[in-house]
Amino acid sequence: MTSKERTLKALAHKTPDRTPVDFGATAVTGIHVLAIERLREHFGFEKSPVRVIEPYQMLGEIDPELMEALQIDVIGLSPKNNMFGINNSGELKEFKTFWGQTVLLPKEFNTSFDDDGNLLIHPEGDLEAPASAKMPKASYFFDAVIRQEPIDESKLDPADNLEEFNPISDDDLEYWRKEIKKVKDTDKAVIANFGGTAFGDIALVPGLNLKNPKGIRDIAEWYMSVIMRPDYIHEIFSKQSDIALANLEKIHEVVQDKVDIAFLCGTDFGTQDSQFCGIDTLEEMYLPYYKKINDWIHENTNWKTFKHSCGAVEPFINSFIEAGFDILNPVQINATGMDPQHLKDTYGDSITFWGGGVDTQKVLAFGTEKEVINQVKENLRIFGKNGGYVFNTVHNIQANVPASNIIAMIETIKKVDG
Amino acid sequence: MSEILEKIAYCVEFGKINQQSPYPPDMKGQLGADELTKEALDTGLAPEDILKKGLVIGMERIGIKFRENKVFVPQVLMSAKAMSTAIEHLKPFFQSGDVKRSGIFIIGTVAGDLHDIGKNLVSMMVEGNGWEVVDLGTDVSADKFVNAIKDNPGSHVGLSALLTTTMINMEHILKEVKAASPETRVLIGGAPVSEDFKNKIGADFYSPDPQGAVEYLNSLVA
Repeated sequence: MTSKERTLKALAHKTPDRTPVDFGATAVTGIHVLAIERLREHFGFEKSPVRVIEPYQMLGEIDPELMEALQIDVIGLSPKNNMFGINNSGELKEFKTFWGQTVLLPKEFNTSFDDDGNLLIHPEGDLEAPASAKMPKASYFFDAVIRQEPIDESKLDPADNLEEFNPISDDDLEYWRKEIKKVKDTDKAVIANFGGTAFGDIALVPGLNLKNPKGIRDIAEWYMSVIMRPDYIHEIFSKQSDIALANLEKIHEVVQDKVDIAFLCGTDFGTQDSQFCGIDTLEEMYLPYYKKINDWIHENTNWKTFKHSCGAVEPFINSFIEAGFDILNPVQINATGMDPQHLKDTYGDSITFWGGGVDTQKVLAFGTEKEVINQVKENLRIFGKNGGYVFNTVHNIQANVPASNIIAMIETIKKVDG
Repeated sequence: MSEILEKIAYCVEFGKINQQSPYPPDMKGQLGADELTKEALDTGLAPEDILKKGLVIGMERIGIKFRENKVFVPQVLMSAKAMSTAIEHLKPFFQSGDVKRSGIFIIGTVAGDLHDIGKNLVSMMVEGNGWEVVDLGTDVSADKFVNAIKDNPGSHVGLSALLTTTMINMEHILKEVKAASPETRVLIGGAPVSEDFKNKIGADFYSPDPQGAVEYLNSLVA
């Protein structure tokens, strides 16, 4: 059974020969560059700078050598430009991080430092433009620098929050043509993030790729707007979904069904023990647009659709299923209500869980190898039953995770599933 | 409680900032916390009563509803905005000493961490419950916390972290704070933080929700 066959069988809720595994195919199932360097060292691979494939979270590339060692079944495709609007597929340069690691970043990845010595990145790599994200000295990745103009209610225009959503260019279509050519003979399942289909993802709201973002860009202001300015948000989502559908149609003509899974949306609806909004808000503000995108995809393609949301989203899972999502990630098993057995028993026939293999807040980062092994075994047994499961940790593997725990996890997957 | 104080509490609880604010929809066109607080002052109500029998009551109600998952982050942010708009009118009375607040609470996200939604929620809840809050912002070093405590004797400190990679910095900051000011109580919070972690590093208090922090602080001055 090839990786692709294995993954597709699991997504069809049938039992594959072993549970398919993803590390690194998306920006929410990846591994930090430092953890990758440690893994490469463990496997005795040649020492060379790790390429950063997603600079916001400093996620590293998992090359074919490491992919084989980790028994990975899925590969990922991302848009041409990264979150800062910098071409992610062009020439690379070496870059020394705060933690002393030499990594590879796009040549146009132009940074500066603030007065406290923190690293600043500028949209499109334009040093003349105000920085859009900052990496504190004591951190391992970036976070948004909020650039919010004073809000004048009478002048708020939804078009300002649509600046980053545009009809796909010929250049970008050509990019997808080339990307899909690279994976046409792969025996792995292919997941693609075409962009433009995330509604109100708080990581994207600040507009990190925009030089002068307008509209509502402050995170708290955005959360309040969902209940305070619902008409404004509806107009953004409505136009955004129209643009996204027109783009998906064009992209589909290019990539056809060589893509197996479409990563649609990373908007987080869960906190550690609750949700970011009530279910009424979810159904009123988000679901119509999710349904619109999912319906088109299911009517016109073979793609399965992927929804990411951290946190305690158990009360929302039925709504995600109703909206047409096939896959839920990262399955934060230590959040309230997210017990693996309960999730599998209640929703396992209707949605594929992608993640939840091991808790990353406590067990993988701070637990013993034995704790990692026990949890991985247990979750493979629960989630893996009758398919409908792709193994991944709960969200990305962070820089502080000991290599020994990652190895314990990998070895357990191999032992349990062979 | 006088009718106007109850109205102020209601506006804070339901996030009605001012008359222009479209939220909540069923209070459209009505006076908000902003105008009512001004009106209460104009009619001669004691500023301390406006704070403690109006604003604090509203914040307490929303804090409890949030802890019970009856409302969510956006509603709490709206309440906090209504509260902070109203509290602007009371600031001269804080400065003159006419209104005594419960104490001083210093808060910040720990070194390396820029995620401040949780920190802001706690900060606004504590302020809305009658405390003076010194918000040091994000990515705050041990030195900055220690200096802020020196500037504000008798204060207590809240440390916030969202990331597993930064929560470990709490331990170092806690040690520095306790070395400089052993009597300062240190509260910790944030998604990956837990009661176990609090015990491990020896912090004084952990709460999964802002209202818990408020109740703990109030217990220190009860």
